[in-house]
Amino acid sequence: MLAKRVIACLDVAAGRIVKGIHFLALRDAGDPVEAARTYCQEGIDELVLLDVKATSERRASAIDTVAAVAAAIDVPLTAGGGVRNIDDVARLLDAGADKVAINSAAVADPSLLTRAAERFGRQCVVISIDVRRTASGNAIATHGARVAISRDPIAWAREAQARGAGELLLTSIDRDGTQAGFDTALLAQARAALRIPIVASGGAGTCASFADAFGAGADAALAATVFHDGLLRIADVKACCTQRGVRVRT
Amino acid sequence: MSEPSIGILDLGAANRANVASGLERSGARVAFVCTPRAFQECAALVIPGVANLGYIAAELDRLTLREPLLHAVERGMPLLGICAGYQLLFEGSDEAPEARALGLFDGRVRALAAARLPHMGWNLVEGGDGVRDWAYFAHGFAPVASTCAIATTELDGHRFVSVARKGNTVGTQFHPERSGTYGRAFLDAFVAFAREAACSQSA
Repeated sequence: MLAKRVIACLDVAAGRIVKGIHFLALRDAGDPVEAARTYCQEGIDELVLLDVKATSERRASAIDTVAAVAAAIDVPLTAGGGVRNIDDVARLLDAGADKVAINSAAVADPSLLTRAAERFGRQCVVISIDVRRTASGNAIATHGARVAISRDPIAWAREAQARGAGELLLTSIDRDGTQAGFDTALLAQARAALRIPIVASGGAGTCASFADAFGAGADAALAATVFHDGLLRIADVKACCTQRGVRVRT
Repeated sequence: MSEPSIGILDLGAANRANVASGLERSGARVAFVCTPRAFQECAALVIPGVANLGYIAAELDRLTLREPLLHAVERGMPLLGICAGYQLLFEGSDEAPEARALGLFDGRVRALAAARLPHMGWNLVEGGDGVRDWAYFAHGFAPVASTCAIATTELDGHRFVSVARKGNTVGTQFHPERSGTYGRAFLDAFVAFAREAACSQSA
């Protein structure tokens, strides 16, 4: 039986880990390769490396950082941020990413998902969707949450799945950095609408918040700050999940 | 004596760099090979595979590697197939029905019957000896039955063949290069096996 995954996210800018609240106000938080190694030793199931400023500054992802992290770890790695076209996907996979997360470019041209899936297989194509709650319901945002698009995230996720995405990275912008728990209502909606695996992101706070996300239908749950700042230990998160009857890799 | 190298068939699979890193962590010297001539320099071969099966099968023919590969296997050269590279070792696949697979293992690769697809994440590899280990999978197709099966994995009440072996040819549906301590132990064993095979050939 497949285990639920606990994922650590490294938000990277210019080869360094950075961390912000609500995507902005970034501060330096260390060396990504060192952090990745430590996470592997602590039993992380997967890593995500996001070049958080790539799209907004219109530059390619930091390939060197991806290559250095990929070579240092023995768990899967998803790379994202600044992926504009099929060549960017190929470069990240060549550098050692196992999966590539596509956000803004897929909104602009959904056929990118299809082309990536046909060439590399859908299991390495991740659709990344950033969601913001608005007065008229949930809407998506692109370019590091700076550009708002009045489109229903679940409808977009369904289209992305049909176009070739093999996994959904679903981030709540409102919860990001707050430690208030994942948006379980959003996760439950996505679960009911989709067949592909869903990675919950934004709002990880306590060990219980992971178990809650899995209970709402997430296949994996991701955190940056709480792991990076040592507020939660990966082993404790997994112990809590096991206690709640959620199967995790031990 | 210099360390014999393990050749990674460069069929454009996306995980070739990670497979190389994984083998290097296990102490191997690795080289990417895309010509029949380069086979001669290798102690063992690996077919990586984050790719569509049809794509890597076509690349195998475009690079005229099919016959040399089959001859090398016949001579006893150790071969490891990973994920799509593993599926290529069977008789054919529903993912790319027109693709010519290698037929080194009996059985056919089928679409997985699961509520959630692709099958993505950590699952248990269960050998006949009752040993169970966590490994990382990312795939939508898999062989369901083969006389070459040595381990299976359960998903939504169905089992598929997650490791197969026949002679010196072995394959894994999971990614040993991304499967933590078990994956590392698996690659350690393959590298040791390649070393022994190279010694007995040169002896």
